[in-house]
Amino acid sequence: MASVRSGQQRAGGRPAPAGDPRARRQATGGRAGTAGRGRSGRRERGGLALYIVAGVAISAVFVLPLLWEMFRSLQPESTVTNPPSAASFSHLTFANFRTLLSGQDDIIRNVTNSLIVAVLTAALTAVVSTMAGYGFGLFRFRGSGLVFGLVLLAFMIPFQAVLTPLFLELHYLHLLNSLIGLALFYTTFNLPVGVYVMRNSFLQVPREIVDAARVDGASVTRTLLSVLRPLVLPGIATSALYAFLFSWTEFLGALSFMTNDSLFTLPVALSNVETGTYGAVNYGLLLAGAVIAMIPCIIVYVALQRYYVRGLVSGALKG
Amino acid sequence: MPRRRSAADRRNARVGLAFTSPALLLVGAFALFPLGFGVYISLTNWPLVGPYHFIGLSNYQSLIHDTVFVQSILFTLKYTAIVTVPIFVVGYALAVFVRSNRRGTTLFRTLIFLPYIVGLVAESYMALVELQPGSGTVNFVLSKLGIVSDTTAWTVHTGQATTAICILVIWFASGLTMMLLMAGMQSIPTELYESARVDGASWWSAERRITLPLLRRSIALSLIISVVGSFLAFNQFFIITDGGPGTSTESVVMSIYQTAFADTDVGLASAMSVVLIIVVGLITFIQFHYLQGDGD
Repeated sequence: MASVRSGQQRAGGRPAPAGDPRARRQATGGRAGTAGRGRSGRRERGGLALYIVAGVAISAVFVLPLLWEMFRSLQPESTVTNPPSAASFSHLTFANFRTLLSGQDDIIRNVTNSLIVAVLTAALTAVVSTMAGYGFGLFRFRGSGLVFGLVLLAFMIPFQAVLTPLFLELHYLHLLNSLIGLALFYTTFNLPVGVYVMRNSFLQVPREIVDAARVDGASVTRTLLSVLRPLVLPGIATSALYAFLFSWTEFLGALSFMTNDSLFTLPVALSNVETGTYGAVNYGLLLAGAVIAMIPCIIVYVALQRYYVRGLVSGALKG
Repeated sequence: MPRRRSAADRRNARVGLAFTSPALLLVGAFALFPLGFGVYISLTNWPLVGPYHFIGLSNYQSLIHDTVFVQSILFTLKYTAIVTVPIFVVGYALAVFVRSNRRGTTLFRTLIFLPYIVGLVAESYMALVELQPGSGTVNFVLSKLGIVSDTTAWTVHTGQATTAICILVIWFASGLTMMLLMAGMQSIPTELYESARVDGASWWSAERRITLPLLRRSIALSLIISVVGSFLAFNQFFIITDGGPGTSTESVVMSIYQTAFADTDVGLASAMSVVLIIVVGLITFIQFHYLQGDGD
């Protein structure tokens, strides 16, 4: 509405309606721009207040359910499984967390498994992607286009569709029921993103820096480790972050490739809680487990979100 | 032009290949090889353990008559059709809302994106608890509003379970579409909007004539990610309904999972996977072609 009105005002002062739009803009733009500053300033402040109110309301739709579940996980089991009442808000307790973290099938082991796999996946993805990005970005070689295409092809292959052959392959390689096997699988399907991000990072490094390092006699590896590493660190953070979050929240692969309870990752262990392996179904424990699964994601994302968004942006624009 | 391969060229080739080989090795071993291996297995009667032999295309022939599999494809297509438009529309509206650099925008972006970051697995467990009749928050709130009775058993009826899961997924996935579209919108030069405003174009016509055409790539990407993601759905159905009642909410990937690991018919499961890859490839190709190819 506002833009329409100001447009009309400007149209009124226009000397000649015909002609090239850019000429029109030059003819009237400057005058109209300075004329109504005081009025539009107040309008903008009012607009900003409205914007913030709307933003808070919209954000609440997305965040309140998560906060509500954190709150619910602090309710005793009997409250979670009974119709809600005023008492729901008074008896808050860490009982669900205590039971979950201290039972004989304690879930600490599963949290540890999840952490090991996620950290290993993030580290492997970072190292392999950095090496590949260096190779693709700074060394032209015959077939590099083909190799790059092959790596990106993994992006086109949904891992859900190679689950059964992969199960058999991992079985032959003795990598079933292995945290390392799971991390290798996760790393592979994070490589397309990682390699893509890292290749772009290396392509953005000024050529003179690479040449200068070479003239100074630094070896190829030395150049990467000492000269270029600080320059591509944001890219490394992006690929590691994606890999960590993917691994931490992945379910189907872990469910298929892990058959030994003690090696389950957290999401899979929670499906045991759901089906009541640890006694009757305990919704309080399930909520506590889901909250434990959720918190590292939130912390890691909020701390490193500019790297995450950076990856999204580069993917969205060059995709 | 005949190019003499100098020593430096050869060295470049050797170094380049050396640095890229770990990535190639992993992708080859755990993505490309299983793809080929899967096609091979699909031509056999491979059980999870024991000997196997070639049976040609029998697995594919039996798929046509496999009512559970056909039903899972139809159900997954229906589910994908239901969630795609709301995810896109909500994501687009959110992107418009957060694309400016006003105060608070960054925080709103972060908060709206959180459900996607937390992941559908943890959220499905939470939804399961909250959808319980008599105790879940969903019934509590909706019965106070007079919409449903507080004993509605969401997870055991096909229609209600599908509705609940679709709403959960729209809530979960809109943030990603928002981020992808926002990135695209921010790359459009602001001068275009300024000159449109000077020309007296309304907000809506600027959106239609400038944003939408220039956003084509981002729209294509976000739709492909969303549609393919929906078609590969597993977690939410496995956790919330376990495919039930019966197999009425079984997605394609669930169907493959059950065939491979519950029925231990790896050959048939691999044939299903090949069909899945072809369908996903077709969806990607059609969308890519339609949204990126024409009119450029």
